[in-house]
Amino acid sequence: MPHLAVERWARSSDFGPDDPIVLTVEGTHGLLIHAVTKAAAERGARAGARLTDARALDPSLVAVPADPQGDAALVQRLARWAGRWSPLVEMDGEDGLRLDVTGVAHLFGDEWDLAADVQTRFAVAGLSTRVAIAPTAAAAWALAHYGHASALVCTKDTGAKLADLPVAALRLPPEANRTLERLGLKTIGLLAGIERRSLARRFREVDNPVDALDRALGRKPEPLTAVPAERPPRAALKLEEPATHPEAPVQALDRLIPDLVRQLQQRHLGVRRLALIGFRVDGSTAIASVATAIPSREPKHLQRLLADKAAALDPGFGFDAFALQADWAEGLASAQESLVGDPSGEQEVARLVDRLSVQLGPEKVRRPQPLESHLPERASGWANAVSSLRGAKATKQSSGGDLDCFPRIKSGVAMTGARPQRLLDRPEAIAVVYATPEGVPRRFVWRRAVHDIARVEGPERIAPEWWRQPSTARLRDYYRVEDQAGRRYWIYREGLIGDGRGGLPEWYMHGLFG
Amino acid sequence: MPEKVGFSRLRLVRDAEMPPPPIAPSAYVELGVATPFSFLRGASDSIELVTTALLLGYDAIGVADRNTLAGVVRMHSACTGAGLRPLIGCRLDLTDAPSLLAYPIDRDGYGRLSRLLSLGKMRTEKGECELSLADVAEYQQGIAFIAWPKGDLDDYERELSRLCDALTSLRHVAASWLYRGDDNSRIERLDRIARKNGCSILATNDVHYHAPDRRPLQDVVTCIREKVTIATAGYLLNPNAERHLKSPEEMARLFARWPHAVKATREFADGLNFSLDELRYEYPKETVPDGRSPQQHLEHLTWQGAHQRWGTSIPYKVLTQLNHELKLIEKLDFARYFLTVHDIVAFARSLDPLILCQGRGSAANSAVCYCLGITAVDPATSDLLFERFISEERREPPDIDVDFEHERREEVIQHIYDKYGRDRAGIAATVIHYRPRSAIREVGKVMGLSEDVTAALASTIWGHMEAELKDARANDAGLDLSDPHLKRTMKLAEQLIGMPRHLSQHVGGFILTERPLTETVPIGNGAMEDRTFIEWDKDDIEELGILKIDVLALGMLTCIRKCFDLIEEHHGERWELATIPQEVPEVYDMLCRGDSLGVFQVESRAQMNMLPRLKPRKFYDLVIEVAIVRPGPIQGDMVHPYLKRRSGKEPVTFPCPDPEHGPPDELEKILGRTLGVPIFQEQAMKIALDAAKFSSEEANQLRKAMATFRSRGNIEVLQDKMVGRMVTRGYDPDFAQRCFDQIKGFGEYGFPESHAASFAHLVYVSSWLKWKYPAAFACGLLNSQPMGFYAPAQIVRDAREHGVEVREVDVNHSDWDCTLEDGALRLGLRQVEGLHREAADKVVSGRPHESVEDLRSRGGTPVHAIQRLAAADAFRSMKLDRRAALWDARALKQAPDLPLFAAADVRDEGAEAVIAKLPAMPLAEHVVNDYQTIRLSLKAHPMRFLREHYAVQKFVTADRLPNIRDGKRVSMSGLVLIRQRPGSAKGVCFITLEDETGVANLVVWPDVFETQRKIVMGARLMAVHGIIQKDAEDGVIHLVARKLEDHSHMLRHLSEEIMPSTLSQSDAAGSWRAPAARHPRDAEIIPKSRDFH
Repeated sequence: MPHLAVERWARSSDFGPDDPIVLTVEGTHGLLIHAVTKAAAERGARAGARLTDARALDPSLVAVPADPQGDAALVQRLARWAGRWSPLVEMDGEDGLRLDVTGVAHLFGDEWDLAADVQTRFAVAGLSTRVAIAPTAAAAWALAHYGHASALVCTKDTGAKLADLPVAALRLPPEANRTLERLGLKTIGLLAGIERRSLARRFREVDNPVDALDRALGRKPEPLTAVPAERPPRAALKLEEPATHPEAPVQALDRLIPDLVRQLQQRHLGVRRLALIGFRVDGSTAIASVATAIPSREPKHLQRLLADKAAALDPGFGFDAFALQADWAEGLASAQESLVGDPSGEQEVARLVDRLSVQLGPEKVRRPQPLESHLPERASGWANAVSSLRGAKATKQSSGGDLDCFPRIKSGVAMTGARPQRLLDRPEAIAVVYATPEGVPRRFVWRRAVHDIARVEGPERIAPEWWRQPSTARLRDYYRVEDQAGRRYWIYREGLIGDGRGGLPEWYMHGLFG
Repeated sequence: MPEKVGFSRLRLVRDAEMPPPPIAPSAYVELGVATPFSFLRGASDSIELVTTALLLGYDAIGVADRNTLAGVVRMHSACTGAGLRPLIGCRLDLTDAPSLLAYPIDRDGYGRLSRLLSLGKMRTEKGECELSLADVAEYQQGIAFIAWPKGDLDDYERELSRLCDALTSLRHVAASWLYRGDDNSRIERLDRIARKNGCSILATNDVHYHAPDRRPLQDVVTCIREKVTIATAGYLLNPNAERHLKSPEEMARLFARWPHAVKATREFADGLNFSLDELRYEYPKETVPDGRSPQQHLEHLTWQGAHQRWGTSIPYKVLTQLNHELKLIEKLDFARYFLTVHDIVAFARSLDPLILCQGRGSAANSAVCYCLGITAVDPATSDLLFERFISEERREPPDIDVDFEHERREEVIQHIYDKYGRDRAGIAATVIHYRPRSAIREVGKVMGLSEDVTAALASTIWGHMEAELKDARANDAGLDLSDPHLKRTMKLAEQLIGMPRHLSQHVGGFILTERPLTETVPIGNGAMEDRTFIEWDKDDIEELGILKIDVLALGMLTCIRKCFDLIEEHHGERWELATIPQEVPEVYDMLCRGDSLGVFQVESRAQMNMLPRLKPRKFYDLVIEVAIVRPGPIQGDMVHPYLKRRSGKEPVTFPCPDPEHGPPDELEKILGRTLGVPIFQEQAMKIALDAAKFSSEEANQLRKAMATFRSRGNIEVLQDKMVGRMVTRGYDPDFAQRCFDQIKGFGEYGFPESHAASFAHLVYVSSWLKWKYPAAFACGLLNSQPMGFYAPAQIVRDAREHGVEVREVDVNHSDWDCTLEDGALRLGLRQVEGLHREAADKVVSGRPHESVEDLRSRGGTPVHAIQRLAAADAFRSMKLDRRAALWDARALKQAPDLPLFAAADVRDEGAEAVIAKLPAMPLAEHVVNDYQTIRLSLKAHPMRFLREHYAVQKFVTADRLPNIRDGKRVSMSGLVLIRQRPGSAKGVCFITLEDETGVANLVVWPDVFETQRKIVMGARLMAVHGIIQKDAEDGVIHLVARKLEDHSHMLRHLSEEIMPSTLSQSDAAGSWRAPAARHPRDAEIIPKSRDFH
């Protein structure tokens, strides 16, 4: 797949194929070009060049960060998908797949048809390919990368077919390539014409041309190691008779959960997403799925989560089989939380979150999250409870077990100043008696009640966040005040006299202590 | 050093608004002040701080940067300028205790503080400083401390008693009212803790900036420091803008409950009795022998030198000059300075082989320097302006810069360390400042702009150190500047420009003292091994009047010395810089032809084009040649008038003022030697003094302001002043404006006459060598690489064109260096890419070799080196071509170097039974391989193989261009050697193409450039269709490009392999990108000589 990175990226972007896009990766001396679109290539951009150099040629290049991990993941997925053509599929480099099609081709017609089929199906998926079939993997690689487009299938006489290809087709290290070229041995044919022993004493590296030639010509075996198919933990149950009564899925669940939990235990996994699939007699399926906040393999918990949804599955003409599958599992070591078997607080909260999420829908359950801002109303936010826990877990492990399972703010920097327990959603304007310009407040009127201030602390001055607020935003002076009755409030004065950002300062009530 | 001050700083000069001195003592003194030298913490420079302090009514202000004294001199000079009293100190951040402010009470205390910081800095790699409380306790004598509590006071009581136990004089604890909300209770608590330990609280505002509106910049630098964006910085930022300088009244109001805290600051400040003025400089003593005073010794050496140069008949002119100079030196007591420099120069001369050196800059104005052998410009034949070097009014120590051979400068440096000791000698620092590009990049990153947008913003600044980031340019780049976020970013970047970023090591400025240097200034480890450098830069040193000697490196001196050695060896003549025959007409003939490849300074294309126009016929013409192709004269549009006058097309006239305002010849005196056109820096400055009647203070201000790009506003004022005054005095406004423009150009790239004269001397010497001994000259150039403007391929080509036979690299004939063989030039093994000296020495020692195997078995050359040699086709003397040698070399096996293995190895595989038949290598492929392995080919030029192809299309060769008449359309093709787009050429791009017959100079106008940018920038083999443009008079030929084609693919026809780029070193990587991204000393635009610092 010579254009994998660009094509994958093109699938998920608004840019057209005619835009000069380069995908870049970080290099030691600035950004390097990883892949280019056709339009960019026409403007002189080449993979491997530095972005600045390419920009010197054409400043209109658009640089987008590449995603090599994502590309690799795609290749891995494609490798599984390629299982439709061959039982043995191997990833080859960053952008290639090797299929062992021994004895397979006739299923698709012949080798040419097979190659055409592969090409077509990849093309449908939006990926261009060069497909070559040859008796050895090395020869197929050579043809795929260097062969003439019309002659990519080779069924016999590999040597002749490869003879005209450059030695680079043998996949030698660049240094060896260059040496061979300097020696005048520029094609595989010329190389093959040299006496074997002469070559052998001149190329002693592991990756030497003699070996490479042997592999290409089939004188040396090169077995494939197929991509191991990682199957998700899954338990299945077949019924002798199709079951139509609504209790059936729940009963099946009872039988399936212990089986699945055993598998999970063996593999040290806990589920994050779990699906019960009911197979109806007519060939259709019904699925009930749930997600958990932290990895779990606690049978009771899983049962409670799924039971209601399972009961609601529509049996249609009846289920003849069920499968319980952990679509998303994470590592979970076995651990003993305490001597008594009670689950820890963390687990309790997590379970509550799970159950609520199942009942109300995951987007309805949110948890508060501290944010780093000096402005009180921006110092907290809400995050989706189930999903936000992933980050929490990472910080948790590093910071030792606390009961709270909130994502932490950056460690090391603490917020200053006391904050009230209750913050009004919207600060309320109040009338205040104070000594101008910056004196402490003496008395204020809030919601038509007059409060004489007995004690006051402050001010805590919080300036606007200049990078996001307009330049007319005013600073606030917060005071903690206590009235004669002992009630404590958090009030602030917005602005200073003469700050050039408005008239007289105004006062607001922002929070209540205790 | 020439006046290439670059970032020379602003001096605070009092203006009418400032309260006049003496200033009454203020009730409060700010002691917790961070300047930008608390890197990425302080956000206001010393001038801003001091000006604000002055207006707020302070009479003194402290400076306390983190573990450094780097910023104190700036603070000192700003304070002195404003009439404030600077309090010099620093903040010590300790590894095992809370921070402290340390203020030396007296000179000894300062010495100890400086030694303490040196100790901490020497312990760490670079930049850092590691100190413990125990270290501080050891050096505490004579230093007053203020304890600096952290945010959390819970442990502070214990910490403070620990500090008090260790530091017996500790009496103060800093307290700040920073609107944290709990300030009252916090300060109350601190007060209690302090009292308990017998201390008192002391008010400070923890000043990070001079005014509240600087807070955004401070937030930005915090983000840069912590590597976060502004949106995610959160609690790393301060919640408000209160860390600014507040008036004493305001501080009194905030500390109304604790008046003793405010009073403590005054008492603390009054207890300090130290000023940087006390750092009286003492010259090293060992340069003077016993029994003589320095002046006597200097006079002795001077006359001795004079007699050596002229025998008994010293020219009268020189005699009077020497007497005059010596008198002035005695009066100003600079004798020991001259002796110190003389000592270093004498050391370089005493070595065997000696190290060539030559003084540059204003020292060349001194006959004493000539007699001491420091400079080489003969005072008998040139007019000296000694007052430019030393003047009675300025009383500044003179500044002598000496260039040494670049390969051997380290020997000189280590000699200085050895002779004076590491505690008495150090290299000056260079403060690296934010430049427009780095500022925009860093601020853009902090503001969350994408790499693309910051790159686009940065690219709007093409090259110059401009403070204003031009809006129009940003619009060109497709950025919407009305966007408030972008606007903010630009504004912050503007503020950041010119802020110090970190300290680096100066290229060669040495400080020498009599007392240990560490008592004057902290010394830290340099990035290079065996280098130590001080915290102050050259302006600081100048400010305090400390002796500085620039020990610089110059590649051309290396080359010249090598040439001298070669000539002595092969021709039996010994030449020296000072003995080269003067004014040989043939040398000037050669230069007039523009035949100057390899010659110092005048080898760039711009200079090569200038030579035939200027037609130098005597030494002084070379001085002008060197100075004229410079941004200053070009920006001031002085080049063409000069050329016209020189060729007689325009009469030589001198602008003059109205008779009522002054004598009509006031400019004739200044501009007489340059035909009425100001070319040198001092002329332009002198015009400001004489024609615009600037006071010396104003002139100084002008020079400094030009160099500092943070002060654009200031420049406008000065411009109005200068042009205005000249016009009122009756000068042509146009002329006045041009003079000013020229000063503007000089500000950054000034070239004083004496400096040009020093360089012109090297121009002459190298030209003479090239003319008289072309083989030795080429050999010396090749052996001094990398240096200069051209790659070895062009040097070799030029040598061959001058009739030098060049022989290929060969294992049996070549040494490491290139050598001369019966007048022919033998390329050395150093030309082989990737071959190490060690391996080459083994090749040489094992000679003669009869087979490839010999190299390994006899010389012990490593196999990979043999393979490289084979690839470089260096086995021809044993009748092996590249391919055969490579085939043999591949068969060698690298065995451990033990006798037993060596013996076993010979037999292990036996002789080869079958001789492999390798296809023969075509010549074209050999050529490509030559370029790949030695960057040049003696076999043929690559274009030769393509000639047939191009001849059919009626392409001409470079050697035919002179025969084609002006204005004719031609097509030609060639390898791209150099691409240049000098900033002063307004978008014109110059390309040098090379084919097998010679080189052609292309001019690409901006419109063609824009439409064919990719080809201009990317092509390695270029075909060009254009028009011949000839200057009838000077014979300069240009090919003005109409249409360009990229024929790089044609190179593929030569070989399957890749033809390496033939661009010379100075292209591609360097010259293309705007100079601002590079070091200031590389920022010369036109002559891209790399020899110059």
